[in-house]
This record gives sequence, C-alpha cells and structure tokens, in this order.
Amino acid sequence: MTNENRRILIVDDERDIREVTQIVLELEGGWEVVTASSGAEGIAVAVRDRPDAILLDVMMPGMDGLETLKQLRKRPETQSIPVLFLTAKGQGKTPPEWGELGIAAAISKPFDPLKLVPQICSLLNWNRSE
Amino acid sequence: MKILLVEDDEQLVELLSQYLSECNYIVDVATDGQTGLNYARTFDYDLLVLDVMLPKLDGIGICRYLRSQHYQMPILLLSALETSHDKISGLDAGADDYVVKPVGVEELLARIRALLRRGRYARPPVLTWERLCLDPATCEATYNDRSLSLTPKEYALLELFLRYPSRVFDRETIIAHLWSLEEPPTENTIRAHVKGLRTKLKAARAPADLIETVYGVGYRLKNADDMTSTPPIANSTMQTQPNSNPTLDAIQQVWSRVKPRALQRVETIERGANAIEDGDNDGDRLLARQEAHRLAGSLGTFGYRYGSQLARQIEALLSKEEPLVEAERRQLWQSLVELRQQLAGDPEPLSIEPPTTMPAPDRRQLLIVDDDTLLTMQIAEDAKTWGLETQVATTVRQARQAIVENPPSLILLDLNFPESDEDGLMLLEDLARNRPEIPAIVLTVRDSFNDRLAVSRLGARAFLQKPLTTTQILETTLEVLQRSNTAAKVLVVDDDVQELALLKALLQPWGLQVETLSEPRQFWRVLEAFTPDLLVLDLEMPDYSGIELCQVVRNEPQWRKLPVLFLTVRTDTDTVNRIFRVGADDYVSKPIAGPELIARLFNRLERTQLLQNLAELDPLTGVSNRRKSSYDITRLLRTCARERRVLSFALLDIDRFKQVNDCHGHAAGDLVLHRFGEVLRESFRPSDVVGRWGGEEFVVAAIDTLKVDGVRRLSEVLGDWRQQTFTLDDDVMLNVTFSAGVAQYPEDGEDLQTLYRAADEALYRAKNAGRDRIFGVST
Repeated sequence: MTNENRRILIVDDERDIREVTQIVLELEGGWEVVTASSGAEGIAVAVRDRPDAILLDVMMPGMDGLETLKQLRKRPETQSIPVLFLTAKGQGKTPPEWGELGIAAAISKPFDPLKLVPQICSLLNWNRSE
Repeated sequence: MKILLVEDDEQLVELLSQYLSECNYIVDVATDGQTGLNYARTFDYDLLVLDVMLPKLDGIGICRYLRSQHYQMPILLLSALETSHDKISGLDAGADDYVVKPVGVEELLARIRALLRRGRYARPPVLTWERLCLDPATCEATYNDRSLSLTPKEYALLELFLRYPSRVFDRETIIAHLWSLEEPPTENTIRAHVKGLRTKLKAARAPADLIETVYGVGYRLKNADDMTSTPPIANSTMQTQPNSNPTLDAIQQVWSRVKPRALQRVETIERGANAIEDGDNDGDRLLARQEAHRLAGSLGTFGYRYGSQLARQIEALLSKEEPLVEAERRQLWQSLVELRQQLAGDPEPLSIEPPTTMPAPDRRQLLIVDDDTLLTMQIAEDAKTWGLETQVATTVRQARQAIVENPPSLILLDLNFPESDEDGLMLLEDLARNRPEIPAIVLTVRDSFNDRLAVSRLGARAFLQKPLTTTQILETTLEVLQRSNTAAKVLVVDDDVQELALLKALLQPWGLQVETLSEPRQFWRVLEAFTPDLLVLDLEMPDYSGIELCQVVRNEPQWRKLPVLFLTVRTDTDTVNRIFRVGADDYVSKPIAGPELIARLFNRLERTQLLQNLAELDPLTGVSNRRKSSYDITRLLRTCARERRVLSFALLDIDRFKQVNDCHGHAAGDLVLHRFGEVLRESFRPSDVVGRWGGEEFVVAAIDTLKVDGVRRLSEVLGDWRQQTFTLDDDVMLNVTFSAGVAQYPEDGEDLQTLYRAADEALYRAKNAGRDRIFGVST
C-alpha cells in the first residue's frame, strides 16, 4: 500500500488540535483526513469512511477515548482499524486494558508537527513512499 | 475603544464600567495589580485606568513597568491620596493624568475622553469610508449624513472595520478587539451583531453588502471600486516568517487564529489562580486546570515547547489536593507570567531532525570554522598526518551548509566573525539543540569567564584559547574524537511499554545503544549484563519506584558514578528534592520533549566521560597529568609574554627507576612515584605547575623564578628526597635519587616545546655526569 491512498480519522474534541493535526497529516503525509469532534461522531465516521487508522484523543467529554475504542472494537466494520491514542501524558500510567484493546501506541501531545507522520508510519509499520 | 480598569473597589468598578459601557467603550476589569499588568501586557488597550492602592502591585508600579517596556497607551491614575508628592510620583511614573477620589463620574469620563483624544495613535478624528462616517469623540455614526442608531457592540464593530478599512477580520480578531474577557461571545453572537449592523445600514440606504462576508474567513468593508484585490487578513499577532516548509506555514496561520483563544485560556487560569488566593473556589480552579491541560497538550505543536512545559507545571500545581503553600502559589504566578511572556514572543517552529547521515566511524572528518585562513590551512595540512579529513568554512553561514551537506565528526569553531553578524556562539547554540551528537571544540582569542561559561553551557567539549600550536589543537581534537566515537550505552527503565518504544525510537538515531526494561524486578540482572553508561529511570513504577532503584545503584560502589536521569511527571520541589537526594544527576519532565531529553542526556554522558577520560590529576602521584599541566604551563607562558616576566621550566627524571621496578616489583615502583609526587607537591608554590608527563618523568614550571633559583630550589628538594628511605615488604631499604634539567623563559625558549627540548638536553648532561644532580641549560 502506498501513502497516497491512506485515510486517517482524527477524533479530538479540541478544534485547534483537530485543525493542526489535519494540516500536518495532509501536507506532510499526503493523506486524506476525516475528523470528528466526539467519540460518538468518531464511531459514525469510522463506520462510514473506514479509515486506515484512527488518531483518538484520550480525554474527551462524554464518551472518552477508551470508551470510544471499546465501541470501535465491538463493531465488525471498525474492529481491525489500528488506533493510535493521542494523549497529553501526565495523566498517569497507561491503563492495562490498552494492550488488550489493540492500541498500537500512544502519541503524546504536544507533538512535533514535522515528526508526526514519520512517527505514525513507524508505529504502524507503514512504509513511506517518499 | 477598549479600556482596562484596574480597581479593587467593587462599587466603583461597577459604576464606572456601567458608565463606560454606555459610552460604547469596552471595559476589562482587573481587581489586583498583578492581573492588571498581565492584561495590559497581553491585550491592546486604548486607555488604562489604574487605582494607585491595589493588592499585589500598586498602580504606580504598573505604570512604571509599562513605561519601561515602552507601552504608550494613555494611563489615568485614580487615588485617594491627595498630596502633591503623590501626584508627582504618579506622573513621574509615566501616568498621563491623576485624579483624586472621590471623583464625580462626569468629570472622570471627561478626562477619559480627553486622554483618548490625545490617544497614542495619530488617527484622524473622524473615520470615514465612502459615505460612512464615525466620530470617536462623540461616538456618533452616520451614513450619508443619516444618523445610525447603533448598539454599543454594533458601534464598536463598525469602528473596528473603519479603523482598518479593506481588511478582513476573522472571528477571533473581532472577539479580541470587541469583547471583554468576562463575556465571551457564542458562535452566533458576532453573526447577530453583524446582522444588526447591516439592518441599520440598510435602513440608512447603504448598499446591502457594505459589510461583506468573506466565506471561511470573516468580514470586511466592501469597497465598491476595488472588487478584485484580495486584502490581507488583519491580525495583530500574525507574522508571516520566511519559512520554506508549507506545513509549518500552515500551522503558523492556524496559530494566529488560535492565539486569542490560548490567551483566553490563560485568563481562565489566572482567574483560577486568583480564586486560590481568595480562598479557593473549586469551580474556577477546576476550569483553570482543564485549560492548563489543554494548553500543555497543544502549545508545543505550535512551536511553544517551553510554553507547554509551563502549562504542565501549572496543571500539576492546580491538581494538588492539598491547599497550595506560599511557595507554590508564587510558583504558579511565576509560571503564568512566564507563559504570557512565551506567548507574547514568536513561536519557534524549529524542528529537531535526527541525523540522516551519521558520520562513518572510520572516516574522521573535521570541520574548521574560522576566518583565519592561515591557521585553517595549517590545521588542514597537519590534520592529514593525523588521518583526519578536513573541510573549512570561513563564515557561520558556510558552516551551517557544510553541517547539513556533509556532517563532520567534529567541529572546530572560532567564536569571532567580525565580518558577519552571526558569531560562533549562535552556531554553537544551534548545534547544541539540533546536532548534539557532533562534538564541538571552541577555539578563540576570547578569554572572558562569560564566554567560557556560555561555551560550556552549550555543551562544547573543549575551550581552547588562541594562540596555540596546531599540534596542541589536533591533540585535543583527537582526544575528543576518541571519546565520542564509542556508542554510549543507555538503559531506560519505564513500566510503560509504549513510552519505552518511543524513547528507543527517539534515542537510537543519535548513535546511542539503547536497552529498555519495563519490568523493574529484572533491573539488577539487566544492569550488570548491559553495563550502561547512563541510566534513565521512570519515577513512578509499580513494584519498585525509580527512587528505590536509584538508591540501590548508588549503594553499589561499582555504580556509584553511573549517571542517572529521571523521567517524571511531577516536578514540584518535593519530588525534585527527593530525586536529587537519592543521587540522581538530572531529571526530565514528562511528557518528554525529545530535544530536551537528548540535550540533557548528551550533556550528562559528556560530563562523566570528561571525568573519566579528562581527569586532570594523575591518580598515582596526585599531580597534574600531562594534558592539564601542558595547558597550565602554556597559560603561564602567555602571562609571562604579556607581562614580561620570567619562568623556569624543569624536567625531572627519577634515576634508575627501571631497576626499582625490575628488582622490587611494580608495587615498589608505584610507591616511589606516589611519594615523589607528594614531595614535589609539597615543595612548590600553588602557583607553580607540577606535572607527571609519563613514566618517571615529571615537569615543574615556576613563574618569576630565574634558572639559577630553579636549580637551587630543586637541589634542596633533591637533598630532602635523598633522605627519603623506602622500607619495602621484604625488609629491603631503598633510596632513590633524581636528576633534572632547568630551562628559562624567554632565554632558552619562548614556547613549551623549545623549553622542553632545552631542559631535556640539560637533563641528559646531568644523567651523563653521574645522575643525582640538577643542571641548568648552559648559556
């Protein structure tokens, strides 16, 4: 698979983060980006658009990242989509259930804009065509 | 027009803000001096009204500070103090007017109007746009001479458009100009006000789209004559920097929109901080904590890495369950002030890239950055014989290019570049941040302590003061290269597997050998098997905490010197103290900022390697080693040259030392050397240099000492030394003598090498004459 065809879903309640992440992924990764501002919306978009990966904010009002992920894992359409947690670490330890839920890894906020794409690629074992 | 009112008298605040709002002014209120100052520094105000007596920071203090920082807005002081002295000190502090309370509101408003008329901008008294006209002095707006009856917000909106005609205003900019902090507008508010304004303009028979919607961006006044040009987006904070990376450009653009919101978040945090001061309002505090959390997670991405750290600190303070003590409250405000300062500055979009091409270990390339072409040619020539390739840059700019195109294994850097505006320290700073793995040696004529300090802070491996021979320069170069060549081994212990993976990915490109461990129970086994050069410990882990592991390490003599670096979410004083108390060398706060971790790690590695390899004292004899004493003597020689002083240089050699080793064993030899070092140290002044140059060869350099005096002094030492009897294990008594040759600066030589050769020649004669004697160089 090459990079150009990839579609990434960003789920974050903060507009600034969504926007900046989208810019980075589009310009640096050349990827198609879809966004959602809540866990529920994220699930809906994931079912509809079948992204190649999901960047999921951990701390969101309402359905938080972990709950969203559990829901994603229950649905056959979204079960196997790799998920990367976006986390402002400092909220303590990685909960043990992350591993069971198939979280590929966590990306800590703030991220370095020019490093995000290489980081995602290496975490997901994607080869970069460029 | 936006006014900041800093006043702690609530009734007066209420009264004044009501009156001012009725006159279409937008009013922000701060009830203590510190907050007031923060507001004034952050937002654009057309006028400040300051009470003199305020909590935390008085009005005169604010005034003085703002003027010292070249803030020009008019300032009106309000005071209950009426002596002329108070007035004078207020006006001297830079206030434009001084009003004594109690004051009639009408008078105060008149004075405010007067000050605003004189305002800091040389703006025309009446603003016009086609047939649209607005008079700030009377707060009247007309279209084609038809009066517009506007609400305060509509008026302010129109004024904003008229003040910056043809600019597009986005939502954030409008909010920043028109709304005070206490009444953040909702998404639809602005739209509603624009609609209101349009309706009233239409009623005055203005064109329907006089205020035009620019889709996706904002609003602007539409110029009937100018329909084609795309006006720039107005934003006071946006600075388009020449930046070749489109992603970073785009992020900058986003930041210009996000910034007002970020500043509002800081406001919210400040309210929370104030709430704590006033006895803890949990709601405000919680809100502040959430905002701090958001800032911590986002500022770094926009280029404010330190801002993120500050926000993280603030979040940590606000998350504490127990009430904050005085020091913590101070820390909180300090961090807030710093955060504001950070946000006031430009973001730093600099991205740290791991080296794409590591210099091959067998190919040793030296980059010389110096505008002294004669010297660089010499070094380049001599470097060949040492097996070093060289490239030369005569300006900092050339050097930057060379570093990217052909990364060197070492950089030899001059600090002074008189022809250019960039000096070596700037390059060193960049290197420290972006390429800490490339060692740098500073070579300079500068000799101030400040320079040395700056250079060592920036992680340079050595500071060489010119003039030096190329041999000395290259010796140091090779030493540093040797030290940097072996991949340092780093052991990281953290129970968070994901974080370990990230750390490994982060560290490996820098040529470090990284071992990770998520199970602290296996710590000791891994430590002994891997024998790291540096240990990174997570503070909080199940089973064993980083603190416990560090204690164990420090209790074992073998590991006492192993540098230990902590990763910690908490950076409060208690935690930090605890970390250092168990013997840690440094800590890095989580979430980890890659560049910071790398810089600290290399810094720490370098320091221990310095200790191990660059030890200045010879451990056996306790005198300086060759490297150190050579430097010290070279320095003394420079002093002599500058101040026309003399120096005697002696080369000493223990007689028949090989026999001591052969007949009595190396332990006996070591004993003799050890004692000889002691005797020499005791026999000379602290200003003299004593060194062991190898085997049984020692040097002594004494300033202000003529050759004859040097010979005499050494003869006395020799006399004492002869008395020294060594009793060896097998009851053998042993006496040892030494010989020496003494040369004098400047007569026998003007540099160390020549002096050495002269002294060596005298020593040779002394040995031939039967040893056990001191000869001066014959003149």
